[in-house]
Amino acid sequence: MTAAAPVHVEIPPGLARPGRRGRRARRLLAPALFVLPAVVFVGATVVYPLLYSVLQSFFDVGLREVVQGGARWAGLDNYVDQFGRSRFWYSFFISIVYAAGSVVLTFAAGLGLALLLRRAFRGRNVLRALILIAWVLPTVVSANVWRWLLDGSYGLLNAALRAVGLLEGDLFWLGRPVTAIAAVVVATAWSFAPFAMILLSAGLEGISRTLYEAARIDGASPWQQFRYITRPQLRPVALAALLLIFIYTFKTFDTIFLMTAGGPGGATTTLPVYAYNEAFEFSRFDTAAVATTVLMVVPIVLSVAYFRTLRKENA
Amino acid sequence: MSAKRIPAGAAPPARGIHRDHVTRRWLAIAGVVVTAVYLVPVYWMLVTSLKTGDSVFRVPPDLIPLPPTIEPYVHAVFGDADIARGLTNSAIIAVGTTFLTLALALPAAYGLAKFRLRGLGVVLMLMLVVQMVPSINLALPMFVLFSSMGLVNSYAGLIIANCALAVPLAVTILRPYFLTVPAEVIEAAKVDGCNELTSFARVALPISTPGVITVAVISFLGAWGEFVFALSLATSEHIQPITIVLAEFTNQVGIRWNDLMAVSAVVALPVIAAFVLLQRYIVAGLTDGATKT
Repeated sequence: MTAAAPVHVEIPPGLARPGRRGRRARRLLAPALFVLPAVVFVGATVVYPLLYSVLQSFFDVGLREVVQGGARWAGLDNYVDQFGRSRFWYSFFISIVYAAGSVVLTFAAGLGLALLLRRAFRGRNVLRALILIAWVLPTVVSANVWRWLLDGSYGLLNAALRAVGLLEGDLFWLGRPVTAIAAVVVATAWSFAPFAMILLSAGLEGISRTLYEAARIDGASPWQQFRYITRPQLRPVALAALLLIFIYTFKTFDTIFLMTAGGPGGATTTLPVYAYNEAFEFSRFDTAAVATTVLMVVPIVLSVAYFRTLRKENA
Repeated sequence: MSAKRIPAGAAPPARGIHRDHVTRRWLAIAGVVVTAVYLVPVYWMLVTSLKTGDSVFRVPPDLIPLPPTIEPYVHAVFGDADIARGLTNSAIIAVGTTFLTLALALPAAYGLAKFRLRGLGVVLMLMLVVQMVPSINLALPMFVLFSSMGLVNSYAGLIIANCALAVPLAVTILRPYFLTVPAEVIEAAKVDGCNELTSFARVALPISTPGVITVAVISFLGAWGEFVFALSLATSEHIQPITIVLAEFTNQVGIRWNDLMAVSAVVALPVIAAFVLLQRYIVAGLTDGATKT
């Protein structure tokens, strides 16, 4: 192994014959040397950049400041500027639409798959594993495949639609605002639904079989069993899954960037894409920081709300 | 595992068993059909990658490539210097990320599992919450910070960026493995002359091999498919991983879809292959835990 730091645990010179204080110091030293490198690393590479980015949103940071330093304090100017722009609010709105659509579709598909593969049959685990491929596929791969499937002239989807008489000629799904959003939502849900399937399958496993047996003896139909047993019993897991899916889709950048690059005409420019464009298209790192800060605040608010309802329900 | 069904004494009448078999068969058939439909995109990627440049644009498209050709693979994957360099860069970045992640996360997960620490809850929470941070929120400040440190357009910069999110994930996955290492085993190793480090390296690590492999594979695959950091921190062609090269590929006018799908398939291959292996390890880890307790 390349773990270099903990080597020092081996008898530090001054502590060769530890007295009481020495032993205490050693007892604290070993854990620190095991844990600290990772903690410091995460602090330096995640916590610090995040704080730095929030700080940037209060400064005047263009490309020159990035290269030379010396950014000017701007107070709330960046926020005032961004919150006064319709383009910002439009992309906030697109973000919500995209995340909401993705959450609903991901959850529905994940629940459907989990229910379908709930009962044990030979080869069930193979099917689960095959479906999981959609989840582990690199986004670049799946995004490109979706672009090809949705191609207006030669795409498989349009070929299928033409075959059943639903479409004549070409339809460029990624070239129109509404169909473009629908397309990125479908591609996102395709990738995330297997993840939802795993979460919800675990939830379904946790429901006691005796509940269903009792219901069957009482003559409950499959639908009634779902309505009065599965639904309430699955609720805690389902809520957690919904929150997780939201967190993951709300921050999605690559799928959209690769499929539509935020187009057509900004119709799929979600907040992450907006922030990227601000920074790398227009070299405005300050207003980009405003966008990413907002991007963080929404899931945090939702998580807090989630844990509060949890506590209220448990009380 | 989940085969525990109605106990023998409570067996329903014969008709019920028969009906149960029938529903089960229908469920299996439905499961196969749905899975097949679900994987159409993957199928279409492979089919397209085996077509010639002309037959890709046939309307209606051929559902199976007749005759199949490996020309796109020869042409685009092995005959294209940009693609080859992208694949090499991705491999370097992914291997580097894997090693750095293991170097940091293995001792940390062990320490968090085996020592009574003040602030344990805070650290665990930190590791968990950090995983929810959007990559773009890190990529932008990293670009600014790395610019002043000369880390933009460097392998080191990309490896560090990838590890930022890989390390917390690895710690979260690994800690439960170390928790299952019995305290007596560690104590016995210390009686035999091991110190904290050697009892970790020689006793706890070997027992936790499935966890180590799982984390290694996950870190590798995460870095292999990573896009956002690469897009922001690797602007020079010499350093760009395959994900970026592939994205550039599609921006060219007149996309050669068969070539593109061939490259995509090659990018997907290690992921799918490793995933098959990973599944086996997860199953092995679970059954080991079940049989040894």
